Amino acid sequence: MVATSTEAKSTEPQVGRRRFLGWLTGLGIAGSAALGSLATFFFIRPRTTYGQPNRFKIGRSEGFPPGSRIAIDPKRVCIVREGNKVAAISTTCTHLGCIIAPSATGFQCPCHGSRFDVDGNVTGGPAPKALAWYAVTLTPSGELEVDKDNEIQTGTYLSV
Amino acid sequence: MSKDQNSIGKSVVDLPANVTRSIFRNPLPTSDRGRAATSFTNFFLHIQPVRVSRQALRPSYTMGLGLISFFLFAILTATGVLLMFYYVPSTTQAYDRMLDLRSSVVFGVILRNMHRWAAHGMVACVFLHMCRVFFTGSYKPPREFNWVIGVCLFGLTLLSSFTGYLLPWDQLAFWAITVGTSIAGYAPLVGKAIKFILLGDATVGQEALLRFYVLHVVVLPLVLTIFVAVHFWRIRKDGGLAKPESEPAPKRVPVQVEIQDDPAPIMATGSIAVAAPARRFTIQGLVRGPLVKVGRLEEDTVFSWPNLLVAELFVLLLTIAGVMLVSFFFNAPLEQPVNVMHPPNPAKAPWYFLGLQEQVSYSAFWGGIGVPGIEVLLLLLLPYIDRGKEGVGRWFARQRIFANSIFLLFVIVNIYLIVIGTFFRGANWQFVSPF
Repeated sequence: MVATSTEAKSTEPQVGRRRFLGWLTGLGIAGSAALGSLATFFFIRPRTTYGQPNRFKIGRSEGFPPGSRIAIDPKRVCIVREGNKVAAISTTCTHLGCIIAPSATGFQCPCHGSRFDVDGNVTGGPAPKALAWYAVTLTPSGELEVDKDNEIQTGTYLSV
Repeated sequence: MSKDQNSIGKSVVDLPANVTRSIFRNPLPTSDRGRAATSFTNFFLHIQPVRVSRQALRPSYTMGLGLISFFLFAILTATGVLLMFYYVPSTTQAYDRMLDLRSSVVFGVILRNMHRWAAHGMVACVFLHMCRVFFTGSYKPPREFNWVIGVCLFGLTLLSSFTGYLLPWDQLAFWAITVGTSIAGYAPLVGKAIKFILLGDATVGQEALLRFYVLHVVVLPLVLTIFVAVHFWRIRKDGGLAKPESEPAPKRVPVQVEIQDDPAPIMATGSIAVAAPARRFTIQGLVRGPLVKVGRLEEDTVFSWPNLLVAELFVLLLTIAGVMLVSFFFNAPLEQPVNVMHPPNPAKAPWYFLGLQEQVSYSAFWGGIGVPGIEVLLLLLLPYIDRGKEGVGRWFARQRIFANSIFLLFVIVNIYLIVIGTFFRGANWQFVSPF
């Protein structure tokens, strides 16, 4: 330590080189930290999920008689049928994600008391927006299929 | 030959004394010099100063709240590591393992109880410690940044508790985390991404359980330990606990340290409290610190050995006794296993989040993100906003009546919201009377 410091003092160009190396090291460390953080971020953000698929079959339309509102809790969706029209309304509360249950006047959330009408519009409580409606299609096999990745406008039914 | 035998015999006879002397560098002290040396040469004791002010030792001043928080963290670490031997972070096994703690693990119930109640206690004590520091004005310069670290420690404590809440995988756990992570989802711009990364999936499930487990047992305790270390270190470097202004705070004069063979002097700011004007010392002189008297000794101080040590051990004993006692009489709750189809009604978070949940029932964004965000920001900036120098080191100093009133209001409002959320909210979060 003693020897090198006296050496550095005597030879001017070495100081420049040493300072340059110092900057380079600092830059390298900072760069490594930044790249490492970025890599960690991409690493912990999952590319595949292991939960349920967002597109699923719910059976033939005969299973849902006219006028019925059948909640499929594991899929978090309520199948509504009016006459020959079928729709799928989300049963995940738009407030904080609790499962809401169909009630006489529509839907009710047990967590913070949000209330919705039969079409999922907010009628009370802290929920900020209406329940989502999902696209329902008829597969070639004659079964109904719900696609939760495809949100459609409230009041859009599928005729069966 | 006989000489050899003698020396072997002597080393056998001297063995205990030699071993002891090799571990402890000082005999039990009988003089002030010895007491100073004991604090100075023991790895664990050298964290403390050699001398400590009487004020810092008065139970009515600190109430030992910071120390209790630290000891609760130690108890949580010990019981948590033991619980890890039997826990599996799997949605199919976690709940069964909770039942196993009751039925087949020796001391399983008491360990889980201790872990649960110590966690509740730590949240409470860290918050009360923050109140103590505020009401005694102890966040004033030079302690501003230690207050900021303390606020971070409070946040880390809440996060640790929140991540641990999911692990039993019962109804309470599942729905509290469903509600809690949805609050995170309301944060502008990054909310959805944070929620997705936190859960590892769209909803609370196996990925979330594994992620919360890793955060709870490795990441958060590690970060917390580092913050605690810096917190403690800064107490020393900031001149011990805050003292009232009647006693002049130790002047922190930059000490020029002369290191041989190095022409540039190094400025060591605040590393040694000196009342005397700056002087030049060799590095050897500084290392000997307590043995070389620098200026006059602070008045109204006592030696840390044994005064501070005994006080600390007494608080430790009280903390252990308190946790054990509560754990003997009250079992940690365990509800039905997770049923993702049927949220309990009402679904409630742990008590210290019920104020937040109550706020959230008015508005998800403002109650869950907006207002708490502003509160945390104000807490972090507090020592840089309130620059008054008066009323440090005393409870409810008259000069600080304005600041203290505002903080008291903040405390009362939050406690009020927690009480409402805990006792006055029933099914569908309707207002109910517990009476």
